[in-house]
Amino acid sequence: MAMSAAAGRIGTPDTAARRRATNSLMTGILWAAALSMIGLLVFFVGYILYLGAPVISWHFLTSPPSEVEAGGGIGPEIYNSFYILILTLIFTTPIATAGGVYLQEYARPGLFTSVVQFCAESLSTIPSIVMGLFGMLVFVDLFHWHFSALGGALTLTILNLPALMRVTQEALQTVPQTYREGSMALGATKWQTIRRVVLPSAIAPLTTGVVLIAGRIIGETAALIFTAGTSVSVGRSAYDLGLFHQAETLSVHLWYTHSEALVPDVTNIGNGSALVLLVMVLLFNISARLLGRALSKRLTGK
Amino acid sequence: MTVTMQAPDLMPQLDADAEMKLCVADLSVYYGNFQAIKHASLRVPENCVMALIGPSGCGKSTFIRALNRMHDLAPDVRVEGTVTLDGEDIYAKDVDPVTIRHRIGMVFQRPNPFPKSIFENAVYGPRIHGVRNRKRLMEIAERSLRHAALWDEVKDRLDKSALELSGGQQQRLCIARVLAVEPEVILMDEPASALDPIATSKIEDLIGDLKKDYTVVIVTHSMQQAARISDYTAFFLMGELVEIGNTRDIFFKPRDKRTEDYITGRYG
Repeated sequence: MAMSAAAGRIGTPDTAARRRATNSLMTGILWAAALSMIGLLVFFVGYILYLGAPVISWHFLTSPPSEVEAGGGIGPEIYNSFYILILTLIFTTPIATAGGVYLQEYARPGLFTSVVQFCAESLSTIPSIVMGLFGMLVFVDLFHWHFSALGGALTLTILNLPALMRVTQEALQTVPQTYREGSMALGATKWQTIRRVVLPSAIAPLTTGVVLIAGRIIGETAALIFTAGTSVSVGRSAYDLGLFHQAETLSVHLWYTHSEALVPDVTNIGNGSALVLLVMVLLFNISARLLGRALSKRLTGK
Repeated sequence: MTVTMQAPDLMPQLDADAEMKLCVADLSVYYGNFQAIKHASLRVPENCVMALIGPSGCGKSTFIRALNRMHDLAPDVRVEGTVTLDGEDIYAKDVDPVTIRHRIGMVFQRPNPFPKSIFENAVYGPRIHGVRNRKRLMEIAERSLRHAALWDEVKDRLDKSALELSGGQQQRLCIARVLAVEPEVILMDEPASALDPIATSKIEDLIGDLKKDYTVVIVTHSMQQAARISDYTAFFLMGELVEIGNTRDIFFKPRDKRTEDYITGRYG
């Protein structure tokens, strides 16, 4: 007898009921798991908002921090967070994107490719505190830069290169092979194909990837404590483009005030800083996603 | 259908015939250790349509992709034998595959317009070959879209995404995209297999029109399609080029038993 005819005859009402029950149960479990994610996030954001909101004031957001008295602000830290983020992205993005393009589009499977992949994967598993100490040995001690924005940014660059390279590879993997073939079949060179078809088609996932990395950079602390320093104003304006000035970021400030500072209003500073950090990452995510969508629309007409 | 009654010899001869656009001699293609094409030889005269038929997996797509060096893009594919375009070996060491693909264009099985506007798709080829002038690009776009019988349907929305077009329109856009680079030979790998009957018949009409200016080699799994549009037909079976001849001869008096079996529906 043909299988198709027998399909409805095997099994019993009993097994059917059990299968239905299992199905409902699993749907429920998966739904609950998804819901708990949202719940955790809402609770977390709500709690930080509840604690941090009363602390936020124009004064808090724009004033320099205080060493011993209460009432210090976080203005320079906000500035430094963005300054180091931008520096890091300027260093990381071109190298990581180019590396990702090479690995995905040019490299043929072989020893060299495997070695590059292995190095990238190993590099990405190094804890950030180890990377921070390495940065201290190289940039602070060996190069005599002392604590500097540049040293911090370069340490973060090494820390994030492998991840961004991986992100680039994954973004390029989303581009259908048929686009590449279509372009090559019209007599385009490999580079023309990559520049005119592959990269524009991958711009949305690429931007999303850069944003995720940017979120990590904004929140990175351990790698910066010993490279960019825990201070903002050593005989200079706190807001300048000095590459060799100390540049304490907001997340480092959060750690510093709680572990070493003498100020009495540590809790307030912590609550306020946490809220500002959260809002910064959120705003950055949203605006970069909008940017990615706009770029994708402009470049691909979608 | 008009077919030259005095069939030219489509098998390669030692004295290379100048009338022949493409000559394939002793072509083998390997995927790793698997030999997908076994010593195939054929010749394609200029300004005609040659159909490659055969059951799924017989190697006809593999064969056509060897004609513009598309296999270069995949690792682990090895091509042996010679393919000449106007007497020039396209696999010679000093030949740049990019130039070959400029002269031998290809249309794929699934429509693959780029995620760009209709206009940008049409002028992609000219742009990569260095045409910058906006007016000139516009002329090329209009001419190729007209030639591909798509102009009237898209002329008011050239800046819209090509992905908004129907499958049949997308495929004609892909043909227009190839026409815009003015190749000498157009390879088509089952260009209508993903399309509905109306879109298919538009593509078939277009192919009949194209042979005035181009040499067309088309892979098709539809014998009716081969019969409708081609002057010559080559029959492939399990990587072997079994028989080649005038389309009418292949369909009405095949010389090989295997061709006859396929034509009369005895394999897939």
